[in-house]
Amino acid sequence: MSTSTIRTAQAEVDRPAARPGAAVTIRGAEKVFSLGRGRTLQALAEVDLEIAEGEFVAIIGPSGCGKSTVLRLAAGLDTPTNGAIEVFGDDPHRLAKQHRLGVAFQEHALLPWASVRANIALPFQVAGRRVDKARVDELIQLVGLVGFEDARPKQLSGGMRQRASIARALALSPDLLLLDEPFGALDAVTRRRMNAELARIWGEEKITTILVTHDVDEALILADRVVVMTGRPGRIRKIAKVDFPRPRGFETTRSPEFHDLVDELTALLDQVEGVDD
Amino acid sequence: MTAAARPGTAALFGIGGALLVVVAAQLVGQFQLAGRAWPPLTDVLAYVTTPAGSGLLLRNGLVTLTAAAQGLLLGVVVAVFGAALALVVPMLRPGFERFAAILNAFPTIALAPLLITTAGREDTPMVIAALSVGFVMFVTMTSGFANVPAAHSDVLTVLGSSRVQRLVRLELPRAVPSFFDGLTLSAPAAILGATIGEWFGAPKGLGLLLVSAMQNYQMPLLWSAALVATALSLAAYIVFVQFQRIAVRRFG
Ligand SMILES: Nc1ncnc2c1ncn2[C@@H]1O[C@H](COP(=O)(O)OP(=O)(O)OP(=O)(O)O)[C@@H](O)[C@H]1O
Ligand SMILES: [Mg+2]
Repeated sequence: MSTSTIRTAQAEVDRPAARPGAAVTIRGAEKVFSLGRGRTLQALAEVDLEIAEGEFVAIIGPSGCGKSTVLRLAAGLDTPTNGAIEVFGDDPHRLAKQHRLGVAFQEHALLPWASVRANIALPFQVAGRRVDKARVDELIQLVGLVGFEDARPKQLSGGMRQRASIARALALSPDLLLLDEPFGALDAVTRRRMNAELARIWGEEKITTILVTHDVDEALILADRVVVMTGRPGRIRKIAKVDFPRPRGFETTRSPEFHDLVDELTALLDQVEGVDD
Repeated sequence: MTAAARPGTAALFGIGGALLVVVAAQLVGQFQLAGRAWPPLTDVLAYVTTPAGSGLLLRNGLVTLTAAAQGLLLGVVVAVFGAALALVVPMLRPGFERFAAILNAFPTIALAPLLITTAGREDTPMVIAALSVGFVMFVTMTSGFANVPAAHSDVLTVLGSSRVQRLVRLELPRAVPSFFDGLTLSAPAAILGATIGEWFGAPKGLGLLLVSAMQNYQMPLLWSAALVATALSLAAYIVFVQFQRIAVRRFG
């Protein structure tokens, strides 16, 4: 990525407070939603998280604990009620403005009137760049949608829509990739294949990635660190470092260390799940 | 127009209702229940089928149709452009909305003298058609632009979209069904607007026929001109409903 040197320099000049090399810095972020008629809902309580450049972080936690909210903060779609968030040493929405952000939303959010190909080409058009047809075709191949290029979202299955949405997020080779349960609607086999593809892309491009998932195995196969969140209001219960060598194939997933970590995190999830209900 | 009734039943009701109206109109004319000004429907149809009658109606019908089509085009272009501009430049919105509302609140008849002096007798039908269309189109387009799903809006935001790109990639395609909704309402309004516009001294058109037939007490001509205007308006509606169906299928 040609922008990376410029970006780091900029970060150091503009915001001396931000640690060089930090891609995402969340400090004491709280999020309170107003529900109208004076009622409020606290989604996040004091989240502190620093994600290094090129790091892959997975977030797991019970439903409704604020995982999507964390991603929305990082994407600049929401602002924290308290606390601060910086992305590459700047306001989060600046990254989007520079077309350096890729997001795959929990609800795929494909444009219904556009074909798969047109949806994946959208980032190029919005950025005012010539559509890189070869890149679009490569992405279609990557997410296994060959033969469905001209299909519209409603003609696809849920899992296929998710895959198209991932391809769209990857289109511009972003510097920050936010994936909100992108593989939720996939069968186990496709899911593992997509995991492997994602691991490969990440290995090649070292895109800073935040992945929200419900699948502990998936988190451990892909991430450098796994963040476990508590039930609402969401806070960070534990950050587990994952040191298994890459690529993490069957040797890794069958190893006792892997299973120990899966068990530990699953037990932790069971605990925090209790807090939620 | 509720979707509750099954299509078959709805069509049956429609045909039944239309037949009832036709029969009632015939009977009222036949027995002169509404005086001599209401001829039997068969007399009107007989007039329409005479060569002189059909020629007159065709020539003037075409004039009205042309004025209505031009007015529709003008009204639609101005309204869509205005609605898009109000969207991209929010500062303009309150002004545009008030202006549209005031124009709409003004009775067309009251505008006629003004239009005759500014637009001229020939173009007044077109301008009144455009005015009848403009407000409806402005309102439907404004609401069409406004009903973009938040999820899609978020996509454009994270892609770093400019305001114009958001309009082109999201809001315009999203508003296509609303556009055709607006057209189904506007097309009949344009026919009506053009016809009324022709009352104020236009040299040709169905409106002129209506006025002169009324003054000369030519009841079959009066009613056949009204019949043609209604048929045009209905045809315009039916044509645009077809477009609307396609648009909903493609963009909905
Ligand atoms: N715009 C909003 N207005 C009000 N409440 C909201 C809003 N967005 C999220 N919430 C609330 O904030 C909490 C966290 O939501 P969030 O979507 O971040 O959860 P999540 O961890 O992603 O859940 P899931 O795993 O089910 O996707 C939920 O209780 C939700 O109801
Ligand atoms: Mg979520």
